[in-house]
Order: sequence, then structure tokens, then C-alpha cells
Amino acid sequence: MKRRVVVAMSGGVDSSVAAAILSEQGYDVVGVAMRLADGGDGPSYRARRGACCSYEDFEDARRVAERLGFPFYVVDMREEFENRVIGNFVSEYLAGRTPNPCVMCNREIKFDRLWERARALDADFIATGHYARIERCPCGEYRLMRAEDSSKDQSYFLFSMNQSQLSRTLFPLGAMTKADVRHRARLLELVNADKAESQEICFVADNDYAGFVERAAGDAIRTGNVVGSNGAVLSRHNGIHRFTVGQRRGLGIAAGEPLYVREIRPGTGDVVVAPSSELRSRGLVAREVSMVRDPASDSIAIEARIRYRHPDIPATLRMGSDRRAEVIFDNGGPAVTPGQACVFYNGNEVLGGGFIESAL
Amino acid sequence: MNIYLDNNSGAPMRPEARDAMLRFIESGAANPSSVHISGQSARRALEGARAQVARSMAADPRRLVFTSGGTESNNLAIFGTLKAHPHRRRIVTSSIEHSSILAPTAELETQGYNVERIAPDASGLIDPDRIASAIDRDTAIVSLGLANSETGAIQNLESVGARARECGAIFHIDAAQALGRMRLDVASMGCDLMTLSGHKIGAPAGIGALYVRDASIIAPAALGGPQEAGLRAGTQNVAGAVAFGAAAEIVNDHLDEEIAQQRDLSALMLRSLLDSIPGLRLNGPVDRRIANTLNITFPGVLGETMLLALDLEGVRVSMGSACAAGAVEPSHVLLAMGLTRAEARSSLRISLGWANTRDEIESAASIIARVWRRLAETPSTRASAEVAR
Repeated sequence: MKRRVVVAMSGGVDSSVAAAILSEQGYDVVGVAMRLADGGDGPSYRARRGACCSYEDFEDARRVAERLGFPFYVVDMREEFENRVIGNFVSEYLAGRTPNPCVMCNREIKFDRLWERARALDADFIATGHYARIERCPCGEYRLMRAEDSSKDQSYFLFSMNQSQLSRTLFPLGAMTKADVRHRARLLELVNADKAESQEICFVADNDYAGFVERAAGDAIRTGNVVGSNGAVLSRHNGIHRFTVGQRRGLGIAAGEPLYVREIRPGTGDVVVAPSSELRSRGLVAREVSMVRDPASDSIAIEARIRYRHPDIPATLRMGSDRRAEVIFDNGGPAVTPGQACVFYNGNEVLGGGFIESAL
Repeated sequence: MNIYLDNNSGAPMRPEARDAMLRFIESGAANPSSVHISGQSARRALEGARAQVARSMAADPRRLVFTSGGTESNNLAIFGTLKAHPHRRRIVTSSIEHSSILAPTAELETQGYNVERIAPDASGLIDPDRIASAIDRDTAIVSLGLANSETGAIQNLESVGARARECGAIFHIDAAQALGRMRLDVASMGCDLMTLSGHKIGAPAGIGALYVRDASIIAPAALGGPQEAGLRAGTQNVAGAVAFGAAAEIVNDHLDEEIAQQRDLSALMLRSLLDSIPGLRLNGPVDRRIANTLNITFPGVLGETMLLALDLEGVRVSMGSACAAGAVEPSHVLLAMGLTRAEARSSLRISLGWANTRDEIESAASIIARVWRRLAETPSTRASAEVAR
């Protein structure tokens, strides 16, 4: 009997080709698009035009499913997404951190709630269009690996996956380049073969995340002062959510040497700025740490990735208690941004990761 | 396997309807307004169909306007009545109507009309006294469904016509779901306008009708030709009309048998599900209902997931309505009846039709019970507190 796979389809070219490949490989493919935010009907849709879950995106996914001949459904996951991803996104910003909603969506929605839906549909697997690979080592354990195409690698967003999730997940694009994927889509005459890349945060239109946080948070917005590292007040600001550690532009101050955000203090509303020489850190503390495989020891040499598009930093991982860990950079490192994911790699393998709590 | 239990969305085409349609198409399918003999032949086919459809509601065929379906009929009834009665500013309807009544009346409300929407009781029935007392001399139209598409509830509209007449208001009945499932009679129901839909009884989608007691009570919405007594311009869909006529003819001749069959089969389905699914609840009135419709709350599971799981097992049912993107929404009818959002999200509609057999119903009942058990054992497809928010 054919094994059934539920493919999460966004209407973009990646997930469409992922579905096509699985269909060609003989899987019983069921396409599912997740309705994560209000789409087509209401006024909020017009305000968010260009953001995710638009009628056009679902129609693109539907056309791909029709062309390839498998069933396709739109499932309503707005409430889960609101509670588990958007709520976290807003509260993280209000706490002075810079969240990564894609990591949260993978952890809380795609590989958790969507999998539960898939299981109810009698699926054996769930698949997405992520650029990452899953390997099974001779010992039987699953390994999460970087994609073949390092420029598209999305393993960073998947660090929270565990063994049971990996055992039932398929990433058909892991060994392909984006150009391969588009070529494949053109051969299959998929409507979205040349569709533009999706934007940074799917539920925020025009990347105006600050406006989004303000609309969601209302009075809870924390305003305050921009202060120097000596405590001197340099200017007022309209909310700590508008800042991220390491940021240089948009501070609204003219100073002799370039200043960067070094720290955000949600308690007082202070945004502390300093010259780059004061932004170095020797490591970080991560919370909500999860490991893909059980680590061999409590102290491991790793390459740490502290932002999606930041070069890896050689470091030592020291596991602590309460799902916390310290990451000590071997040769020191830049400022780290609380709220972002810190992912632990060993070569091409994702060992695990956590969310940055503070710098060391 | 394909067990189709979504007849309230649209029934499979009856062979008689298909044959009538093919006969007309193969005969040349001329324009019934043309003066030549081919046109006269098309016109004869159209008028034959009109008589057949009119008979299904005991109406004079000359009072029947063919439309593109129930939605157009409801729109023509509402907008046409208001256009013909420009000084009346009030509309009486209910909160559980089909979207082709809800949306036009909501639009009119934004234009300054006073729209009174009567809510149903917990069983989905609307108190006729509340309707009657909502009608006044400013009321242009009273627009109400006879059989509810989602619960099957049959409204008691007997007294409404008299009250509407007393106030000079036009009484419109949407009988799209009632046709073929109960006996219709425009005179005894006291209505001025009645909507019918072809594909609910096994004609193709794209053909419907509006009974218009007197052409002067509505103004046309579409202009551009003298067709349909000037009330609906545009060349008629004769192929659709003859199919509608043929399907109506079956309904006219075999209504009691079809109702009895659907009553037996839906009772069988309900009994079987009640035996296998603890806590299952039937929504809607126990007695005042069209026999083919079962709206059921499946305890502890998400209706959406159950609908998809059943689909993959070959059983086609429905839930509420679909948004533009194709995601299902909890039924506004169930919410108006006072079900919680979680309950509404755990509810599915099973609607039987002329083509269903006893074997199908027995298989479907066992598949539904099996799928429900699978879902009830899967943690987060349960209608959790999170989902209920």
C-alpha cells in the first residue's frame, strides 16, 4: 500500500515542487495549506495584502495539486497560530527581545499541530519545502543536516526537531538548489515556477513589524530613552520593540563614532547604545535548548550560528540544567541578540539549538 | 469508493435530467426567442420545462421566472422587490438564512435599510409570532428560508403570509432546500415569491427559478431583453431548464416515495452513529425537519479534520460554509442556535439524496464511526480549549 504524506503547501514554488517530487516517487500525496491569518474576506486582508494566506497563494497551491492530481485542502489554523506564534512574537518584542517566528512556527505549528492533523488523516509522513536534509545513521538515529545548497540552507529554522519528528518528516528539496527547483517547476508547468520569494515574516505586510507589534500591543508598548553606556540620556524613543541588539541605523542620534544597540532593558525602557568596541561578547546563555540526538557529553565543540544569516562561530557548548546551556565562543564573538535562535552545528549536522537569553 | 452525502450542496444529476438536456442539445439548441421554427421548437421545450417546474410548487407556469439558480432568485426577489417598493425601508428576515439572503440584506443595511433578523431557538426554529410582530407597514419584504440547508429545520411560516399581506409587504420564501424534500404549494403557503434551485434535486447547477405571484411586485435586476416576462433579460438556459423540468417531474410523481426512502436511510444512519459514538448529538428539531439532513456534533473532534479524513476514505460530507480560499468555517446557523464555537466546529452535515442506497449508508456509518474513533484518540484533533477560544 502506498504510504501517505501530507505536504504543507504555501502556494510557493518550493513546497509545490516538494509535493511533485513525492508524488513522482509514488507517495499518496495530500496537499494541505494552512490558513494562519485572516485571508480573502475581511478588511484586515486588504490591510495585509501581500502577506501570507492570501486567496491567490491558496489558488496557486490548488492549481498545482490539480495539475499533479492529488487532493488539496485548506486547514484553518488561525487560532493556534495566533496563540502560539503571533502571541509569542509580540510578547518577545515587548520584553526587549527579537523573536524568530519561523522557528516558532516550525516547532509549534508545522511539526506539532499540523502533524496531529496529518496523523488524523492516516498519514505516515509530513513533508515541507524546507531546504534541509534528514539522514539516518547506521545506529538508527536520525540526523538533521544542512541543505546541499548552502545559500538556501534552512536547517537553522528546524533545530528544535526531535527524533520522532525527524522519523516522520520528509524534506524532498534537501539536495537541490533553488535553480534546480525552479527548473523542475517549469518542466512540470507549475503556475508558480517563477513566483517571487516570500517575504521575511509571512504574517507582517511590507515587513512593518514595528507597526504590527504596535497594533497588537496597544498600550503595552514600552517607550523610554536611548542612553549611552555611561548612562547619559541621548534621546527619547517610541518603543523598545523598534530596536534589536546590534542595530546601527535608525537610532536618531548623531554621534562622533558609529553607535550600536548594545542592550535593551524592558524594565526601564532604556535602549543602551555603545561603539562597536563595546559590543563584543564571549558567548551566550541559551534557553529552551533542545538536541536532535542525545549529546555524547556535556561539553561539545560546535559551530554556533547566532542569526540565520550570520557566519558560524567556533564555540564550546556546555549543557546546563533546566534546558539551559552556555555557548562560549572560542575566540570571542559579536553582540548576540536575545530572542534569536542559536543553532549548534557540527560540520553539516545540526546538533540542536536554543533561544538566546543573554550575552556572556 | 465514493459515497456522496452532501446533497444539500448539490445532488448528482438524475439520468432523466441528463437525457432531457442531451435531447435538447442534439436537437439544435436554438434561441427560444428566435421567430423561426428552430426557435419555436426551443421555446416549446422551455415552456414544457416551465410547466413541469411550476407543478412542483403548484404554481401557474406563467408566474415562473427561470434564473441561473437559487442565489440569483434570492437576489432578484430582494432587490427586485425593493426597487418596486421604493418607499418601504424595512426588511424582515432571520439570522440563519443562506448567504444569498444574508449578504444582500447586509448590503442593504449599509444603504440605510432597516433589517430585522429574527434569531432561531435552540432547535433552529423561528417563532412565527416574532416574525409576525416584526412586520409593519414600512416593511417591503419578508424573506425567509423554508427548510434550513444546514439543519433541515422546517420553519412554520403559515401565519406569515397573512400578516405580510395585511401590511402590504411582499412575502418571499426560499425553498431551495425544501424542493424534493417536502410538498410545496405557493397558494397555501401564502407567498408572493418563492425561490427554487435545480441542482438540489438532480438538475445541473446553473438553473433555478423564482415564482412571482404578480409581475408588478418586482422590478427586473438585469435589463436587455423581453425574456421571462421582462423580469430577467438574457437568453434562457434552455438545456438547464429542460433538465430542471425532468428532475422536477420525478419529484412531482415520486415525492412521497423519495421522502420515505430518505427518512428510512437517515434514520438508519443516525441509529447506527448513536450506537457507535457516545455523546453524539443531533442538531436541529426532532420532528419539523426534512428527512434527508442530519447535522451532527461529533464529541471531542474537530469537524474540519473529520471532514478531510472522511473525504480521504471516500465519504463526502460538509461543514458550515467554505471561505474564498476553501477553508471551512463553523456554521453560522449552529452559532445562531446557541452552540458554542467549539461545538459548531465539531459539527458536520450529512445530507442524503435520491441516489443513495442502503448499502452506502451502512458503509458510510461504519466508516464515520471508525474515523471518529481514530480522531478522538489523536490528541490535538480534539476540539481543545485552545480551539474553542
